[in-house]
Amino acid sequence: MSNFTADTYQNEFLPTGGTEVNAVVTVTSSGGGSTRPGAEIVILDTSLSMGVPSAKLSAAILATATAIDCIRDGVMFAVISGSTDARIVYPRDGGMAVGSDATRSAARLAVSRLGVDGGTAMGTWLRRAGELFASAPPGARHAILLTDGRNQHETSEQLDEALASVEGCFQCDCRGVGTDWEVGELRRIAQTLLGTVDIVADPRGLADDFRRLTERAMGRATGNVSLRLWTPRGATVTLVRQVAPTIEELTHRGRPVDELSVDYPTGSWGDESRDYHLAIRVSARGLGDEMLAGRVTLIEDGELRGQALVKAIWTEDEQRSTQINREVAHYTGQAELAEAIQDGLEARKAGDCETATIKLGRAVALATASGNASTMKLLAGVVEIDDPVTGTVRLRAGVAEADEMALDTRSTKTVRLGSG
Amino acid sequence: MSDRATIGFAGCGGCGTPHAPGDRFCEQCGASLESTSAPADRDACSSCGAAPGARDEDGYCTICGLRGRARGDRDELDLSAAAAVSDQGLVHRRNEDAFHLEVVAERHGAAVVCDGISSATAGDLAAQGAARAAGRALALAAGDPSSDAIVATLGAIRAAGDAVELVPWSPEVDRAMPSCTLVSALWRDGELVIGWIGDSRAYWLTEDGCRQLTTDDSWAAEQVAAGTITADEAARDSRFHAITHWVGADAPARPPQVVTLRPEHPGRLMLCSDGLWNYAPRAADLAALVDALPAAAGPAAVARSLTETALARGGRDNITVAVIDIEPEDPARRRHQ
Repeated sequence: MSNFTADTYQNEFLPTGGTEVNAVVTVTSSGGGSTRPGAEIVILDTSLSMGVPSAKLSAAILATATAIDCIRDGVMFAVISGSTDARIVYPRDGGMAVGSDATRSAARLAVSRLGVDGGTAMGTWLRRAGELFASAPPGARHAILLTDGRNQHETSEQLDEALASVEGCFQCDCRGVGTDWEVGELRRIAQTLLGTVDIVADPRGLADDFRRLTERAMGRATGNVSLRLWTPRGATVTLVRQVAPTIEELTHRGRPVDELSVDYPTGSWGDESRDYHLAIRVSARGLGDEMLAGRVTLIEDGELRGQALVKAIWTEDEQRSTQINREVAHYTGQAELAEAIQDGLEARKAGDCETATIKLGRAVALATASGNASTMKLLAGVVEIDDPVTGTVRLRAGVAEADEMALDTRSTKTVRLGSG
Repeated sequence: MSDRATIGFAGCGGCGTPHAPGDRFCEQCGASLESTSAPADRDACSSCGAAPGARDEDGYCTICGLRGRARGDRDELDLSAAAAVSDQGLVHRRNEDAFHLEVVAERHGAAVVCDGISSATAGDLAAQGAARAAGRALALAAGDPSSDAIVATLGAIRAAGDAVELVPWSPEVDRAMPSCTLVSALWRDGELVIGWIGDSRAYWLTEDGCRQLTTDDSWAAEQVAAGTITADEAARDSRFHAITHWVGADAPARPPQVVTLRPEHPGRLMLCSDGLWNYAPRAADLAALVDALPAAAGPAAVARSLTETALARGGRDNITVAVIDIEPEDPARRRHQ
């Protein structure tokens, strides 16, 4: 069992008549030494395009073999080959294999024989993974989906339906190899399935990436964890957003537990720390009144695992009520940074250079102010920076598509206060 | 918060009958003595009315989230012929007022109200120390007819100053040394001596109305007295609450003000901090508040009611009120003299 601790960072003081309560809650999970075996599935795109150039498939096979090597003894696993339909490459006898030297080497062999054929239908792949996971005992369930193209052989609605049917069943990290895939599409899958999305522009980088993903998945000791938010009667939750290590909107993903509590999905946890930005609108109370505006509890398999309080105190002291908490301000800026990047890239794609320049310039200024060095580096690949502080930039003419996609996929990566 | 003493007799809050320590019910009227000074049920949510059980371990209502004001936010002392209430108010995070009240015998007693200076360090400790030191000194004098009441009052306020100097504190930026205001009363068979430093006040209430016995040591009062500005202008000035004298190591070197009263008719003495008089600045305002109460309302009922009024009007400061019934000199004794 993991231990969860939660800490609140907020300015609890509201002015007379004030109703907006903002807080950043840092949740840290530790001591996850649980040996409860999880389950892991690698979903490998084997559509025709993966064979062009042939190095792409070889790199994907090598990466999958690396992931298989990282499967711990006793962990259930399987490999799916995805094209117009979904085929289980390993194990062949149905269900999932149990990690051991024998199964790992058999799986590697099966994967090495993969060839390419057919189209791309990711919804079908995900449904198949969902069916397989359903046969495994409860525990952390994680998939890696690798593709090189668009979801051409399914409608957008079909993908949405498939996502809805597997949401909450497993987590899925998505990786796009090359530059022919669509960031928005994979981001939709990753966000719904509480995973990450990233570009692996060079197929040679795949194996290392798969190793990282699999090792992280193996380190996740918890089952499904929910962030439960209690708010008082009459209050409205206006924002629930994971803000570190990446930005993930959760506001509209809550499931009501009772009249006053809502559960937001967070997936399973390793030894890690995540930050959440909450905004709650409460009814204004009298001067000097203190209200519990929110109670955050972490729920693992129905059990309470740690909590934090979000408070509101009404005061006439403007020095207190007008201060914006540092963490709240910081993450508001990081969310704006991600939005500016995505808006800027979209405008650039649409040929609206003016908007793109303003948005990406704003992003440069925000990244500079918050010390988000890695995002700054990615931005520099897309714009010429004349003044990083004011965000005076010019769009670069010949931008490598991979650079643009990398900036897009990694725009949601945030830095913590003081770490820049 | 405030120092409380119950020397002498304590009476039933319902009928005033004295009772012995340990009595649970009044022998005269049957009222529960344990409940006479207990506030209303503070466990039930005062906001949404949720049952007492609907309060979590942190003290918040599990329905509306409002935190119940914890017990101890108000100090009450009901000695029947005299009573005092000190309430944290609705805005301040702690009570920096303090009182000391003792009735040493019928018609003999002492009361002190202090208000810790909010811009000072450890204002609460200063007020508590000053109230306790002055209160004890005055209570001794109340029981010793051979002492001079004015000399005793001056000595008690000096003792308060010594106590404030002993308050442990460490310098803070923009924070003054520990300091407080003080208003004291010593009554001995019809003789009433009031002493004060700062802007805590004493009022004398009779059937004919209400009179302020003290004049504030404040910028506003001094300007009005000098005729430079009117009372209304002073009330609008940002310096209205600036006091010109206080109890503390860094206080101006001038003596406290003292006034003596020998009432011919029964009356009520009231001591209070500015947490109350801010909401009833003129004596007539206070008189109207007290007149609105039932004729039978005793000191405790009056003190509570005035406190509730200040809370209802905003409760922006700590509120402390002491109310003492004062009888004229015992006629029987006067005949003896």
